Amino acid sequence: MTLFLEQIVNGLVLGGIYALIAVGYTMVYGVIQLINFAHGEIFMFGAYFAFLCLAVLKFPLWLAVLASILLCALMGVVIDLIAYRPLRNAPRLSALITAIGISLILQNLARMIWGAEPRRDLANAKSAFLSQTVIIPGGAQLSYLDLSIIILAILLMVGLNRLISLTRIGKAMRACAQDKMAASLMGIDTNRVIGATFAIGSALGAVAGIMVGMRETIEPTMGYYKGVAAFAAAVLGGIGNITGAMLGGVVLGIAEVLGAGYISSGYRVAISYILMILVIVFRPTGLLGRASAKRA
Amino acid sequence: MKQQTLIETASYRALCRLEIGHICSALRSSLVLLLIFSAAFLLTVQEAEAAKTIKVAVAGPFTGSVAAFGEMIKKGAQLRAKEINGNGGINSKELELIFEDDTGKDKEASLVATRIASNKKILAVVGHFNSSCSLAGKPIYKRNRIVELSPGSTNVNVCKGSDYTFRNLYRDDFQGSFSAKYIKGVLTDVKTVAVFFDNDDYGRGLRDSFKQSAEKAGLAIVADEAYDRDTTDYKAQLTKIKSASPDLIFIAGLYSQAGLILSQARESGITAQFFGADGVDSPKLLEIAGEAANGIYITTPFIFGLEGNEEAQRVAIAFEQEFGKAPDTWAALTYDAVGMIVEAIEKRGESRKAIRDHLGSLTSPEKGYQGITGLTYFDENGDCLKPAYVKQVVNGKFVAAKVQFLD
Repeated sequence: MTLFLEQIVNGLVLGGIYALIAVGYTMVYGVIQLINFAHGEIFMFGAYFAFLCLAVLKFPLWLAVLASILLCALMGVVIDLIAYRPLRNAPRLSALITAIGISLILQNLARMIWGAEPRRDLANAKSAFLSQTVIIPGGAQLSYLDLSIIILAILLMVGLNRLISLTRIGKAMRACAQDKMAASLMGIDTNRVIGATFAIGSALGAVAGIMVGMRETIEPTMGYYKGVAAFAAAVLGGIGNITGAMLGGVVLGIAEVLGAGYISSGYRVAISYILMILVIVFRPTGLLGRASAKRA
Repeated sequence: MKQQTLIETASYRALCRLEIGHICSALRSSLVLLLIFSAAFLLTVQEAEAAKTIKVAVAGPFTGSVAAFGEMIKKGAQLRAKEINGNGGINSKELELIFEDDTGKDKEASLVATRIASNKKILAVVGHFNSSCSLAGKPIYKRNRIVELSPGSTNVNVCKGSDYTFRNLYRDDFQGSFSAKYIKGVLTDVKTVAVFFDNDDYGRGLRDSFKQSAEKAGLAIVADEAYDRDTTDYKAQLTKIKSASPDLIFIAGLYSQAGLILSQARESGITAQFFGADGVDSPKLLEIAGEAANGIYITTPFIFGLEGNEEAQRVAIAFEQEFGKAPDTWAALTYDAVGMIVEAIEKRGESRKAIRDHLGSLTSPEKGYQGITGLTYFDENGDCLKPAYVKQVVNGKFVAAKVQFLD
């Protein structure tokens, strides 16, 4: 029983990280129907920015985290501005290929600046408290870092949900997702709303990047591997649907861990993708997606 | 001749039609042809000049997730080349090393192998490092009749089926059974063992041979888990291994993943003894795992600082003076591999075939090559019989284990 509980906790940590990244994919897709392949790279830069602030600029941890989140939000907005906005009315395929191009550019840029070696600097810089372990009711053991990943992921998801449903900008995002033309006729500055979407998605991606950096290693390809999994999570949950992305992330994380724990660790990743394909076969719009649902 | 006729026909046609546009295009095409010919001419001139050096390729993971191996390979080769060229080169020609980066991935290795093999000026290859890469390069090198001498690939199948692939270290079947014997004989408290392996040629091969020998030696295998090299989260497998509560965990993989596995294992409350093979033998392991690395045993083809090996001491000092850091096992094996190729060229001549013939003739201890890592001679596959050593991490440093098994 303890074993099962520990695996569920492992799955929740992984799922929380996937969910935080998946939200970025799904928000952008909801508003402009673009699969932003560069999002995984923003996640990766989140880790590198934090590493830069901590190890090179010697910022305290909280400031490094904050700076990295802001830098990534800015980066998301700038990418939209220079790469996607000029293609807003172009065929969707052009924007998609641009996104792949941006992703490759960013990945290689990181390799040029910081080298391809995996780094543990961020993990070594975190406070010693975070690597201590705690035993939760039920007997499962996990580190404070893992615990805070789960809690932070839940808080951010709830916060995002409130933001989308209660605030003016959230309302504007939902309006843009429904019908961009009508929204702009109602006086909504759609470019500003799209910019905000990129900023929020990228900021959440940065949070995930920093946490992965503290837990594992940072390297230029980390965004690709985690990004693909998170994209799968977004599709699994129903792309364009924020709650779906959160759910998809958690489901995929738990599936991966249970697959490795109880079926075969050699097919760990394959098992989670088979699950995703099965869901898509029977529910082509994903777990929560509806053909004509509001998308954000 | 051909060029002239082309220009003539083009100009003739243009004149016939009396169209200025055509004349222009004829001029343009003749200009392009001229450029091509002069470029070809320049290249031939360069080629004649370049033959003053002897080119040997060094292929390894110079970037990518196992780049620490590549760095040591590069430096080991550079040091040897510098020493050789300082002593007048090979037959008074300069030895030129050409570094090709396979990033530790088999797909990249095939591209690199094709690039090396098709460059006729390159006489031999020192590399690749990763077993998957050596295996990927093998058919290409064989087809082009160029020697591939690996200073790091230990998978059983690397040298099989090609007269052109050699290595100067032991095989995984030896390493696996050696590890099992060492655990049985020295770590006598260990009764149950878990195996955690990288799901590639190296990891799977090593796991198979270790598992077989461990079972034969009477150790119980209580868990057998795989991981993918692209993942950085091993908690799922570690939780499963933890529930089997083994006395010892054998890692068949590479240092960058092993480092993370060590620190994540300690985080999940695993207190078992760790045992790794040569894939985790890199100073980078200590950097990645930090304190979690303490206590791990590692089998390796070579250790610097063993008594009675003065030549190795000299190389270690020269290496440190040159690069400001201590050499590791892979630098030493590469140092020897470059030396073997150079010896072959000196003894048999400057051709791919001569090098292959020389290495192929080193079939007994008497004929073998004496390098800093010991005596290297080959069996009919191109494999060699060399001893394994055991290291341990104590207080964040690699030291030779107290008990060595040498027979």
